Amino acid sequence: MEAGTNGSNRGNAYVVETSGLTKRFGARVAVDDVELRVPRGSAFGYLGPNGAGKTTLIRMLLGLTDASAGTMRLLGRSVPAARAEALARVGAIVEEPRFHGHLTGRENLQVVAAAREPEAHSRIDGALARVGLAERSDERVKRYSLGMRQRLGVARSLLADPELLILDEPTNGLDPAGIHEFRAMIRGFVAEGRTVLLSSHLLDEVEKICDEVAIVDQGRVVVQGSIAELAREGRQTILVATSDDTRALPILAGHRAVESVVADGNGIRVKLSDASDAELAADDLSRFIVLEGLAIRRFEPARVSLEQRFLEITSRLEEAA
Amino acid sequence: MNATTVSAELPRIRTASRWSPRLASAELLKLRKRRGLLAATVGLTIVPMIVAYIVLAALHAADPTQYGPAGGVQNFTDSVNFLGSLTIVAAILIGATAGTGDLGAGVFRELVVTGRSRLALFAARVPAGLGFLLAAVGLALAFTATASTLLAGSVAAPGAQVVAASAGWLVLEATLGFVIALGVSSLVGSRGTSIAVLLGFQLVAMPLLLQIGALGVFREGLVGAAIERFEPAAILGHPPTVPMSVAAAAVAVVAWLVVPIALGAWRTCTRDA
Repeated sequence: MEAGTNGSNRGNAYVVETSGLTKRFGARVAVDDVELRVPRGSAFGYLGPNGAGKTTLIRMLLGLTDASAGTMRLLGRSVPAARAEALARVGAIVEEPRFHGHLTGRENLQVVAAAREPEAHSRIDGALARVGLAERSDERVKRYSLGMRQRLGVARSLLADPELLILDEPTNGLDPAGIHEFRAMIRGFVAEGRTVLLSSHLLDEVEKICDEVAIVDQGRVVVQGSIAELAREGRQTILVATSDDTRALPILAGHRAVESVVADGNGIRVKLSDASDAELAADDLSRFIVLEGLAIRRFEPARVSLEQRFLEITSRLEEAA
Repeated sequence: MNATTVSAELPRIRTASRWSPRLASAELLKLRKRRGLLAATVGLTIVPMIVAYIVLAALHAADPTQYGPAGGVQNFTDSVNFLGSLTIVAAILIGATAGTGDLGAGVFRELVVTGRSRLALFAARVPAGLGFLLAAVGLALAFTATASTLLAGSVAAPGAQVVAASAGWLVLEATLGFVIALGVSSLVGSRGTSIAVLLGFQLVAMPLLLQIGALGVFREGLVGAAIERFEPAAILGHPPTVPMSVAAAAVAVVAWLVVPIALGAWRTCTRDA
């Protein structure tokens, strides 16, 4: 199954583009001047704490609520002007997927397929099989567990043969096995050439699933890029181990590029200051250690997790406020 | 390059046609699969007619001298009059359910994100709801006409003309009741509130208002007055409570059809999903 074979626009580099997108509720600004670019064919995380405006942004993209200002493009089409055409190749789960409890899973899909192009009906069986609900599709949805409803929500979004899947907190309420299965499913969609925009407040989830991320706080996109890039941009930490860490400690601490040094049983964690050039500082530090007559047993940059980077960014914002 | 220019250069994506019978079929599916609604509709239309003719036939069989035949014109018109009152209640239940079913289940937003126009989503409820309601009312009327003919015995059976006039009047009454309920419930967004308000208006407030002669010409604007004006004389059994011209009644009917639909459509198109 390949994404969007029906009149798709594969040439566009970005499947979501927003400019100055803003949503106000009275005096409160829920989404503040958001500039977002979601690259085609990626799993893109829209990461932020609860109340950061993630769902509001998604609701605007999908035409569920109007924007107060700014412009949006989905699959290269202007929204809301070309909303019907843009959404024809978009599948979405907004918050908890909802269904008619008195209808079966299959009937619920039939209801939504009726609102889509005629081919959507022929995708029902495949979508149910894809999410593992084929055998229980004739049961009423009110008997479904939360996990089954989430999977049925994914099946429903597949009826569009989507180029873009927008999933808002999709793993809410899933057990660990369900979360694991969900991650694999999302990576499977990306492997098929679809783009997944995943909104979440769970750092770990975004880090494990996504290639790119935008971190949002108080309605604003604070930083955007690949997870590897964002981690690189974080404060550099170098892990150092020498033949005599006690002697190495003051040498490292005395360098102007070093913000702090902490020794533990495995060596020394050297945190460089923001302003320093990490590569030059690392060269300097290694040279000083050798000149002191110490042997270097370990000298490597520490991996900065998305969580560390996220906390750095949000703590900076708090300091600025 | 502005947004319009870029969109024009993109390959066209196939979308659903604006008005599609598939949407109405889906709406009908939602209604007919509601067991409670189905039971209430059958219970308000077909079942009372069956029970009435069973009782009439039993009484006639037990004491033919005191109780005339179960069929005949008189029993037919009385039954249709009763069916008309029950049809209003069924129409309110179905209209309110059609108007709020998606909202209440939280499915409205799932339909909106398909890109299908909200107006089309709203419009599909009209043929679906009316089809559901009129099927039940039609079956009830068909049974009534058949029973009245087969059980007429020595009295005159209802002719085709009175049956056709009854059918037309029931369709008018059902359509008005349904459309008003659909519009009001789409506007209010609550099934329970809509049903309570509409039943109170139709069954309590309107009959009272129709009796207040001091309201003068304003009574002609009441939907009940218009329905009564078009009610076949054989069924009504007395002159209309509010004397009015056919033209005035027609204007009232059109207004009561258009205004609730327009309000419901407007609210469906503008509400946050």
